[in-house]
Amino acid sequence: MTASLRVRDLCKSYDGVRVLDRFSVDVEPGEFVALLGPSGTGKTTLLRCLARLADPDAGEIYVGSHAMHLLSGRALRVARHEIGFVFQQFNLVRRRSALENVLTGRLADVSLWRVIAGRFPEADCRAAFAALERVGLLDYAFQRADQLSGGQQQRVAIARAIVQRSHLMLADEPVASLDPAAAESVLALLRDIAREHRMGVLCSLHQPVLAERFADRICEMRPSPG
Amino acid sequence: MGALRFTAILLAVGAFYAFCIAFADVDLWRLWKGLPRLAAWTARAWPPNFEDFSTLLQRAAETIAMASLGTTIGALIAVPLCLFAAANTTPDAVLHVAARGLLNILRGIDSFVFALLFVAAVGLGPFAGVLGIALHSAGSVAKLWSESIETVERGPVEAATMSGAGRLKIITHALLPDVLPALASSMLYIWEFNLRASTVLGIVGAGGIGQELKSSIDLLDFPRVFAILLIVLAMVTFVDQVSAMVRRHLA
Repeated sequence: MTASLRVRDLCKSYDGVRVLDRFSVDVEPGEFVALLGPSGTGKTTLLRCLARLADPDAGEIYVGSHAMHLLSGRALRVARHEIGFVFQQFNLVRRRSALENVLTGRLADVSLWRVIAGRFPEADCRAAFAALERVGLLDYAFQRADQLSGGQQQRVAIARAIVQRSHLMLADEPVASLDPAAAESVLALLRDIAREHRMGVLCSLHQPVLAERFADRICEMRPSPG
Repeated sequence: MGALRFTAILLAVGAFYAFCIAFADVDLWRLWKGLPRLAAWTARAWPPNFEDFSTLLQRAAETIAMASLGTTIGALIAVPLCLFAAANTTPDAVLHVAARGLLNILRGIDSFVFALLFVAAVGLGPFAGVLGIALHSAGSVAKLWSESIETVERGPVEAATMSGAGRLKIITHALLPDVLPALASSMLYIWEFNLRASTVLGIVGAGGIGQELKSSIDLLDFPRVFAILLIVLAMVTFVDQVSAMVRRHLA
């Protein structure tokens, strides 16, 4: 069975400073891997390179059968569809409802005029409602995103990744701006969803306690020497 | 060193204004001599002459129509232009530079000048004014819009990018909702501006209340000039109020 994510010898420098130095990691389907390390160790850089929101200097990235490091244009877009990304700052569209934000995950398969008219296919809406129910926010479907609490917004972001039916979830410090209770419930949700959907999760954290409690495996990142 | 620099700056600014006064042919003596004439005209302007009120109203309506249509057409042209001109939505570096150049040209040429050209092309009347306003506004609106788009947070757009969707769908779904109030607000601002600008477009033959203004001044019919100025004032105030009201609702 192919891994959700396979990274080999990934390198990335910013202004001559080596942030990633031959970094490798594997994430299996259904596995929750925590990326642990103090800030400044390149966790965000790594995750952004994996999603190709930043371009690595060297190395190989395989997401399922997609060789992410080789792709560009349309092929890259297709491959990105396989990756759900959860951000520290949630990155919801403030003036859209929770439901509409979840539907962002279906954007690739919906025609442009439907997006402009705001009329998503019924099947997609059903999937979005189901995802909201799964993260416990069905009652907030029509609430505007900027009226939700931080924990709720992060759950909407997770629901967005669920409806995208991706095989890999990348989470960049998803609980760093949440209070302890919300942080725990968000991490528990990520872990459960990884198992239910056989989705690999690579999640950066800076608190060892949380990583030990929720992760199947911990991958430590150290400050690079140079 | 601070004092020396201060003196140098003072001298430079002083020289600049001396140059401006010389070239602008400023002569306070002539203003002083002209004052009695202005006073006499002002006195003769009372009471305002609202005779032929229906013509004036029709011209005022022409002006409002001209400004509104011109702004709308300009905004339609600005839609693609601003997406090309904003650094975070442009699909291509060459298009980005080209769009910036085009909008700067459009913005740099006043509606008045465009209208002058269009009067020659399509003849006298408000249609030339509509076209003139449309071209100039396209540049102004696109400039303001692209600036609003550039200040938007990139987070939601990145999140939508991860869905694997194309650029236009991402812009529509994840970028527009958050900037729409700002876009509408700047379009209303340009609309107000265009109404004030179009009150004088009649002077180059592009219709509207400016045409009445010019013919009345030419005939030294000051009571009528006064009446026209009152109508312009009422019109501008009205549009400013409407615009301010809509903007409050957008916030």
